[in-house]
Amino acid sequence: MISIKKNIIIISSLVFLIGLILIFADRNTFSTSKDTDACLSCHEDKDLTMDKGGKKISLFVNPEHYKGSVHAGAECVDCHLNYNPDEIPHSKNKELADCNTCHDNLKGIEKSVHKKVNCYDCHSKHDIKSAKIIREDQTKNCLNCHKNLNIRKFSSSIHAKKDVGCEDCHKGGHQTEKISKDEVNNVCGKCHNNNKMAFKNSIHHTVMKGGNKNSPVCTDCHGSHEILSSKISIESEGCLNCHLNEKLFPGEEKGSAKFVAQYKTSIHGLLKKGDNEAAGCVDCHGDHMIQSPDNPASSTAKARLLETCGKCHGEIVEKFKKSKHGTEYLKNSDKAPSCVTCHGEHDIKSTLLSDEFSKVNIVEKCLKCHEDGTIPHKSYQGEEELISGYRNSVHYEALKKGNLNAPTCSECHGAHEMENADNPESKISKKNVALTCGQSSCHQDQKKDYLESVHQKGVSENNKDAPTCNDCHGNHSILTKKSDDKLAKSKSLIKLCSNCHSSVELVERNDLPTKVGETYNESFHGLATRGGSAEVANCESCHGNHSIKPSSDTSSTINKKNLPKTCGKCHEGAAEVLFTSKIHINDVQQDSPWVFFVTKFYLIMIFGLIGFMVLHNVLDWKKKKKLSKANED
Amino acid sequence: MKTEDKYLRMSANERVQHFLLLSSFIVLVITGFALKFPESFWVKGIAAIIGQNTFEARGIVHRVASVVLVIVSVYHVFYLLFTARGRQLLKDFLPKKQDITDFIQSMKYLFGKSETKPLFGRFSYIEKMEYWAVVWGTFIMGVTGVILWFENFFLKYVTNTGMDISAAIHYYEAILASLAIVVWHFYFIFLNPDVYPMNKAWIKGYLTKEEMEKEHPLELTELEIKENKNISEKNINES
Repeated sequence: MISIKKNIIIISSLVFLIGLILIFADRNTFSTSKDTDACLSCHEDKDLTMDKGGKKISLFVNPEHYKGSVHAGAECVDCHLNYNPDEIPHSKNKELADCNTCHDNLKGIEKSVHKKVNCYDCHSKHDIKSAKIIREDQTKNCLNCHKNLNIRKFSSSIHAKKDVGCEDCHKGGHQTEKISKDEVNNVCGKCHNNNKMAFKNSIHHTVMKGGNKNSPVCTDCHGSHEILSSKISIESEGCLNCHLNEKLFPGEEKGSAKFVAQYKTSIHGLLKKGDNEAAGCVDCHGDHMIQSPDNPASSTAKARLLETCGKCHGEIVEKFKKSKHGTEYLKNSDKAPSCVTCHGEHDIKSTLLSDEFSKVNIVEKCLKCHEDGTIPHKSYQGEEELISGYRNSVHYEALKKGNLNAPTCSECHGAHEMENADNPESKISKKNVALTCGQSSCHQDQKKDYLESVHQKGVSENNKDAPTCNDCHGNHSILTKKSDDKLAKSKSLIKLCSNCHSSVELVERNDLPTKVGETYNESFHGLATRGGSAEVANCESCHGNHSIKPSSDTSSTINKKNLPKTCGKCHEGAAEVLFTSKIHINDVQQDSPWVFFVTKFYLIMIFGLIGFMVLHNVLDWKKKKKLSKANED
Repeated sequence: MKTEDKYLRMSANERVQHFLLLSSFIVLVITGFALKFPESFWVKGIAAIIGQNTFEARGIVHRVASVVLVIVSVYHVFYLLFTARGRQLLKDFLPKKQDITDFIQSMKYLFGKSETKPLFGRFSYIEKMEYWAVVWGTFIMGVTGVILWFENFFLKYVTNTGMDISAAIHYYEAILASLAIVVWHFYFIFLNPDVYPMNKAWIKGYLTKEEMEKEHPLELTELEIKENKNISEKNINES
């Protein structure tokens, strides 16, 4: 603080002094000497020229400019040494004016790149400008000489617009310097200190400290004089200049030029937002403090990916966070996927347009992790069902044949909102499965039927035993209904229904009709199925499938009123029949006393009569044997 | 003379009837129980031989055999009514008071309460039981079988309860009949020490004198008396 105050005092007193000098000059205190007037008497002629090497050189000196310059008090001969006004030319051995004779204490000029530049190249010749004036428009002054394209672009740069001049970086004045690569960061850091500090923590800086001469400094990305704005105009090109170079980044591994090159064909690289890419390198990797993705602090490290991708894809990331994938991710589970697991890194493609996200191919993406049994999967009919069973499913078959209505993983599970059935909010939770399977263009009729069924009633009452679509059809490996083997289908259907309806525990718990499986198996229908008849009735033939209702429901296929119609499907004669007893006779004595009586009668007959016959014949045999032995004797 | 030692038991006509009865019966037993016990080893064995349409074939064969049995049965009724031998057969098969006495005596004998073995005529109570059981069984199986076969027609008359009863009777009667054949009939034809290893009358039609003495002594006596009469009449005529 003290030194700044000192400087202010020195500068203001200098300004005051110069002001005083100007005031006196205005009062003609320093009038031109007669010698000078004499010189000007000729040289004020605009047409005064001389020939030099065939070129006409103007010898005109504008007296007003001269008199207005800081050298107004000096005689022409003070600079033009050894000049004789009476002779023409005035000097045989023309010497250049040596400013050093007066100005012998120029600070820093020895080190400056301008050491060998003539003073008047900057200060001009006769209308010598003061340092103050030069400083006012130094950049213009510099550009008088520095005409290469790069430097000329400075005029349109953000620095020019913000009144940053050449001298702010190159020091200017007599100390003008070139800026070496090592110095660049410090020079820029004078103003851009935050960015400098950030850069010091970057992988680029780390590599630089390690002695890598290819590591970039500010100007490698931002350019030097042509800097347009703080955002790099072709920002990716800035990075790709180096990162596409296979000599600098060989191989095919992560980090290689080939790996980075995938960006060029990615949706981020191809899609334009104004002049820039939809997402440039820095959008994901950050700018000055860019890190290696292996560094957990990096914006592209797994732990920070949601934050990084969420900058643009915020809504999707929020969905993901609530998903099964997301909750596992947030628990830092190794197995949990992040954005890049499915979408890739540099080669991120449009999910709408690219092959890899087509309905068929997305399956491969999901199964990459879910192929084997290591990630929890559903059980079906008491057996574990691998998610890869989807490959055998009717859904996948249809999809492969080109039926675009057939569902792929995301149709049921959602994409970013991927959920498994445990979450009641998920599309495939027990209560939602029917709605998901029955969504428009899918199984709407079946849904309609099912929603009327007794099974659905159970589900809506949170009965865990009540089945919904997947309990009967399976989860991933939903097989085609149009199996050629009708018998196998019939048998598997019976087995399917029996899974619940023959489970003593489940039947008791839900107060369901007992022994339905047993009684079916012993009925003609059941015996025929067991014996290999594909045509005979199974559960579905009478009870229907999706719209299964209890017999007490008047719209049920097995309501007493509807039985003639139901049975009539196969037995024409049943149409006019009055059904006088239960079909599944689970308690013979109560449900069908006649059958009970017949059974009892025959059991007595069989045991009584046949027992008697055995006894009779055994005795007969013994007698006859004894008799024949006696005869032999 | 050897030929004189043979006594006609079953005429050719009767043997054909018997053969059709036994063959259709065996087929019915096999194809019937194949329905009831589809997972048993012998059904699986048959299924393995026949292949895919075993079940359909089973049903067809069962019905064909039943038709054969019904035809034989109906023929048998006509045979009983319209042939002399048939009428005699029916007459001999009809149960008589003597059969009850024979049965009681036989029981006493078998249980060692009596040393006298009852003497039987052409058909003992054993054979009469056998015969009438077959008649009864065929009738029951026929009626219930037809109901089950033509379920569309009969449903409206017997309702589903009637179908259930028919099925129950058809099943239990089948067990009863089969066991009766095995225990009762097969014993007397095969294991019975008097005829062991087999009574060949159902093939040859004749019994030997020895067999007649053991199984049908009264009939033998009757036949001998008849023969003697004939001989003496013959002799008288000759003289």
